[in-house]
Amino acid sequence: MKPNRGWTPYLFVLPAFLVFAVAILLPVLATFGLSFTRWDGSGPLKFKGIANYTRALHDSVYISSYWHVLIYVVATIVLEVLLGLLLAGAVSARPGTTFYRVAFFIPVMLPLVVIAVLWSFVLNPDFGLLNAGLDAVGLGGWKRVWLGDPNTALLAISVISGWIFAGFYMAIFYAGFARIPKDIIESARLDGAGEWTIFRRMKVPLVRGITEIAVLLCVTGGIQVFDLVFVLTNGGPYNTTEVPTTYLVKTVFRDQDVGYGSALAVILTVVIALIGLLYSRLRRKTSDVEF
Amino acid sequence: MATFDAVSNSDAAQSFAGRKKGVRPSDVLFHVVMTIYAMLFFLPLLWMAMSSFKTNGQIFQSPFALPTSWDWSVFATAWADGGIGQYAVNSFIVTAVSMVAILGLGSMAAFAFSRMKFRGSGLLLTLFTLGLLLPIQSYFIAQNSLFEYLHLKDTRWALIIPYTAMGLPLAIWLLKAYLDSLPKELFEAARIDGAGDLRIYWSVVLPLVRSGMATVAIFSALAAWNEFLLALLYIQNDELKTIPVGLLAFSTKYITDYHLLFAALTIVTIPMIVIYVLFHRRIAQGLTEGSLK
Repeated sequence: MKPNRGWTPYLFVLPAFLVFAVAILLPVLATFGLSFTRWDGSGPLKFKGIANYTRALHDSVYISSYWHVLIYVVATIVLEVLLGLLLAGAVSARPGTTFYRVAFFIPVMLPLVVIAVLWSFVLNPDFGLLNAGLDAVGLGGWKRVWLGDPNTALLAISVISGWIFAGFYMAIFYAGFARIPKDIIESARLDGAGEWTIFRRMKVPLVRGITEIAVLLCVTGGIQVFDLVFVLTNGGPYNTTEVPTTYLVKTVFRDQDVGYGSALAVILTVVIALIGLLYSRLRRKTSDVEF
Repeated sequence: MATFDAVSNSDAAQSFAGRKKGVRPSDVLFHVVMTIYAMLFFLPLLWMAMSSFKTNGQIFQSPFALPTSWDWSVFATAWADGGIGQYAVNSFIVTAVSMVAILGLGSMAAFAFSRMKFRGSGLLLTLFTLGLLLPIQSYFIAQNSLFEYLHLKDTRWALIIPYTAMGLPLAIWLLKAYLDSLPKELFEAARIDGAGDLRIYWSVVLPLVRSGMATVAIFSALAAWNEFLLALLYIQNDELKTIPVGLLAFSTKYITDYHLLFAALTIVTIPMIVIYVLFHRRIAQGLTEGSLK
């Protein structure tokens, strides 16, 4: 390679960089700047210092949106990552499971909004599949207005999320299991180890690195949950499913409070970045052995 | 990416050489449990497709019954009068243009980052890598104002530009890794033959990173096809809405016309599932061919 070829490298990088800078980098900086202002989106800008941030700390709906998303994230770690791990264990323990793998992965392909609309029908109190199913098996007493009941709405969203993404994590773990040298598993099998023992004692410990990445993906993705909540409840009933993203969108686009919304966005970004950083620190300390 | 490799892995990837032949009770139990679990995915989809053919009354009173008549015109109504066709065209245009832009711009940048030395390459690469980590919330508010100022809102560019920008970091990162792994003799040989940078990009880089490009294409096409937040905020004109936002508009417009709603959902989901099943096979084939060479 010749070390210096004048302008050529820049001509190759520039088109990509221009699009990236205009659409993402510049707006990131501008959002940060806007977070110190009061602005309705079109009128004059007013500098407000850190007023938006102090306001956020006293905004009970915003604070509670983090509690909701925490519950959602914990629930989805179980319903997506753990379930995905178990499913991967199941489909990799036997031959002839291609059909299941394909089936479980279907929802991952579909637009979240489409799935959310479908599930809003499944959970519909009047004609929904779930309530009709409960009636059919004699559990009519369990019927609920699932998405309209403060006690079940957030749980319902978490379950739907699990229905969608368990297949995604299954696929990741399945790929991890496939990379384990076959003779290790084979010799354990010949030694008489059962599939569950192989799963618990060998496969799961061997894909630890993948598990850590999966949990991180689930946490950082979960904090940003929007599509599902927006379509299913849009934060209701009585703000019980309000998450940071839905509240942020309402603040900016319904209340035209761009400055405050930007501050909420910056806080959310910092929270996500901090979790990512802390997590990678922890990982480096606990896992020196990478499979 | 692991995702797509994973589903396409054939069963041969996992070894069962030590298994005894014959049907064991535990196998039967296993398949029963897995089939019931798979039903959780097929039942709602089946219910959705069947309800397209029913009247509102039948949807309410006999949710599990097969439709009494098969009136396919409901799909035509949803497609044409309901505008699902227009939404699909819009999604297709936005997705196709974004995908081509990501592949073109991404591979050019990846080539420069991987095979050329230039001032500022480290900084530029760091900025792109940052793009892998930045959540959409960190920029969409100001992006919205910017697009408003530039009169881009309610045009297809309002989606194509951000989708391209969002796809580039992954494309560059992935394709650079591909190019880094290639022996440098390939490029030197081309250069000795007198090929310029553009020529090398076109006849060496592009053919060699094809499998990486396929991964990027799948990933970015799905992301663009399914994106919702920006499409919701930037497009008010019904003529330009993409499927996710269009379907939501559709479900508000025909709020009591249930079989039409189910038909719309069916049109949107079933073709994607079919493509996925076909697609899954093609990737499996590509992978086995790739590993045999």
